[in-house]
Amino acid sequence: MVVIGAGNGGLTAACRLAQKGIKTLLLERHNIPGGCATSFIRGRFEFEVALHQLSGLGSKDKPGPLRYVLDQLGVTDRVEWVEMQNLYRLVVPGQLDITLPADREALLAALQARFPAEKDNITAFFDLVYKLCIEFFSTMRDPEPSPEKYPTYFKYALTNTQEILDEYFTDPLLKLSVAVYWGYTGVPPAKLPFMDLAILLFAYIELKPYHIKGGSQALSTAILEKFYEAGGEARFNCGASKILVENGCITGVVTEHGETINTKYVVSNASTLSVYTELIDPEHVPEEQLKILGGSTVGPSAVTLFIGLDCEPAEVGIYETTNFLGTTSDINRVFSSCKKVDVEDDYILLSCYNVSDPDFSPPGTCQVVIVDLKYGEPWLEIPPHQYYEKKYEVADKLLDKVEQHFPGFREHIEEIEVATPLTHARYLATPGGAIYGFDQFAKDSNMFISPRSPIKGLYFAGAWAGMGGFQPTLSSGVAAARQVIKAMQSEAEVGA
Amino acid sequence: MKTEVRKSIEGYSQIAHELEICRKYGIDYTAQKGRWKAAVERLHPKRLQLRVAKIIPETPTASTLRLVPVSGYLPPFQAGQYINLFAEINGVRTGRPYSISSPPNQIAYYDITVRRVPDGFVSSYLLDQVKVGDILESTGPAGQFYYNPLIHGKDLVFLAGGSGITPFMSMIREATDRMLDRKIHLIYGCRTPQDAIFHNELLSLAADYSNFSYDLVISEPDSSYEGLTGFIDGNLILSRIGSVEGKTFFICGPQEMYDFTIPELKKLGVPDRRIRREVFGLPKQVYNDPAWPQEVSPQAVFKVKLSSGREISARADEPLLVSLERAGITVENCCRSGECSLCRVKLLKGQVFHARTAKLRQSDHQAGYIHSCAAYPISDVEILL
Repeated sequence: MVVIGAGNGGLTAACRLAQKGIKTLLLERHNIPGGCATSFIRGRFEFEVALHQLSGLGSKDKPGPLRYVLDQLGVTDRVEWVEMQNLYRLVVPGQLDITLPADREALLAALQARFPAEKDNITAFFDLVYKLCIEFFSTMRDPEPSPEKYPTYFKYALTNTQEILDEYFTDPLLKLSVAVYWGYTGVPPAKLPFMDLAILLFAYIELKPYHIKGGSQALSTAILEKFYEAGGEARFNCGASKILVENGCITGVVTEHGETINTKYVVSNASTLSVYTELIDPEHVPEEQLKILGGSTVGPSAVTLFIGLDCEPAEVGIYETTNFLGTTSDINRVFSSCKKVDVEDDYILLSCYNVSDPDFSPPGTCQVVIVDLKYGEPWLEIPPHQYYEKKYEVADKLLDKVEQHFPGFREHIEEIEVATPLTHARYLATPGGAIYGFDQFAKDSNMFISPRSPIKGLYFAGAWAGMGGFQPTLSSGVAAARQVIKAMQSEAEVGA
Repeated sequence: MKTEVRKSIEGYSQIAHELEICRKYGIDYTAQKGRWKAAVERLHPKRLQLRVAKIIPETPTASTLRLVPVSGYLPPFQAGQYINLFAEINGVRTGRPYSISSPPNQIAYYDITVRRVPDGFVSSYLLDQVKVGDILESTGPAGQFYYNPLIHGKDLVFLAGGSGITPFMSMIREATDRMLDRKIHLIYGCRTPQDAIFHNELLSLAADYSNFSYDLVISEPDSSYEGLTGFIDGNLILSRIGSVEGKTFFICGPQEMYDFTIPELKKLGVPDRRIRREVFGLPKQVYNDPAWPQEVSPQAVFKVKLSSGREISARADEPLLVSLERAGITVENCCRSGECSLCRVKLLKGQVFHARTAKLRQSDHQAGYIHSCAAYPISDVEILL
């Protein structure tokens, strides 16, 4: 059994397989496990690369689905979790400044205080969110779901978010206030299935957002440790250069160092795009599979600033962990600017982990990560020798934005590292430097596209065969492992 | 949920239809194969093949190797960055990071300037054996010691010690060549005037450009020397630059220089964020570090057991990476100062001492990962490569 890639999905897949007694080799091209779920050091700061708010974990007393997944692997107690009190603070200068608590009652109160004219609309909207989610969970357990049993789900699951926002609210700032999490999916309200937003809101409100002591690297390392304890073998600085296929079946993997490993099963955490267009020789890739890929578009990457400040968050006026800083209430316009290099219209996410976890950086300092969703494509046009100049120009504009919200911010910067879509492409090896896989439009969900491969023995884990984000990718690996085990069992039965 | 049931969700059939259309007029991803990989490669190639085009003697103990790309293309870099040059010497494959001394606007070649280190394994090889036409292999440009326009301002003070001048040379040449809006004052400490690399070029740049000034400070002058002498302390710095206000300080030199100069700057009231330092290799005598366990003799030799079952021996006063290389075992490496983490391995048993420059992640401490280039064995150890 070979698992390609030690991102979230690859790690959990490998760990589960090894724990089930299957001889598993994990290949990773980078020198460290995690993929997105990693950290790097600059000066006295260890920067969190990707995790902002972990969803689906829940507490010991009120466990969420992700906790079950991590419990299965035995890693829940290997890391220290940090619960966040609030969902986010959202600011549109001169128009809006609101903080939403991670509690249904308090959240409704906050929204209703700011938008008194739409008090009842707000209640009704969250009633819909809850009803939809609860019905959705029931459909998953129900062997015979039907529109009669789950009218809300069958009516609203695939409706786009904008339609619902328009149906329930009039004030564009209120629409923005409840839909700002679109950034965690990379899909703007006009294209975002309402189910996706509802689940995000429900999960964060009911199960709270979390972070991890030591960052997401601590979780990646903990999963890898469990993998080793179960007898797994991992090779770092050792990517896969080829997946071998014969007669429609997996036969092996060739490493970047030229070693061939025979196997009938591969779980790929590498993107479906790389697997079908690069790792497998073209004659073994069914035409139909390429057509399926061709129907999806590569999702956004990001420009990310990793910043170490030489002061406490309060000194520059940061009081929330998660801050969405906007320029306008027109989200769909904001989204269209994601396709440009220029950052003028963008709204940004600013996370300051120290607000929830004062130990996140050395005493008297704090760590801030700023994310601006950007498609990678236009960055391909920048000549290599103008790259650094462009990168700093963009970062400079983003810092100007931040400065408007938090005056004096720039003066306190001790360390700053700028990651562009090309940086993400370098470390994630994804096309476009995409951080969530393909665009997650309604048509691209697993409801329409099966993550299964036509090639026997090939399975996928991670964002490219499902949804992006920590909870989905961590869960996807365990799901892939389950499919592999099932396939192995049925093969054993046939053999017997 | 079965597909048949899903079809009853409102909007399902429209979306299914949309998907069909998207596939019909879909993207041919096979035509885009390797596009991003190539773009990343242009910026950050894992390896470069470089031909020695010219060897320029600089001082009695230092020469510049002018390296041109075999492929015809060199990736961009930020002035101050280095390449890790690999060499196979007497059957041992090893590497050494060398700052690029040519400016980034010079895209035809990288200059690296090598000074002879007493008993230096690699420097002797580069200075005595390598000749014009030879091909060398390196990593792509790397490193965190560079001018960052976002935060470093326009008033810079460079403090260089010995061969620590090389990254500054790139920054100074860039700033003057491109007439950048930046003021630079260089204070360069050397033992003797003969040790000062690039001295004449620096003098003439200082004469030609009003935004660049230069002081050479000699620590072991003979009686006839007339310039600045002594160590680069707070008084000297202040006397040359007037005030520390609004200035960013860059330091590159041996460990002793950091130990001495950084506290001097702090005494002058320079905040941490205004002090940038290069990780310039490892201390020559790691056992002089106050934290070194006294019971471990620097001459001690320990056993290193590898995951393959093989056992090699390693000296306490040598980084584990070097002992592995001596035994013919290659581990990916780049900065060789404990910073970049490419040489990270897992310590299964035993203990190591990390040089102060090593930067480990929090979870590395918990799970027992070490940076082999900056980790010294202080007991028998077992590692997972």
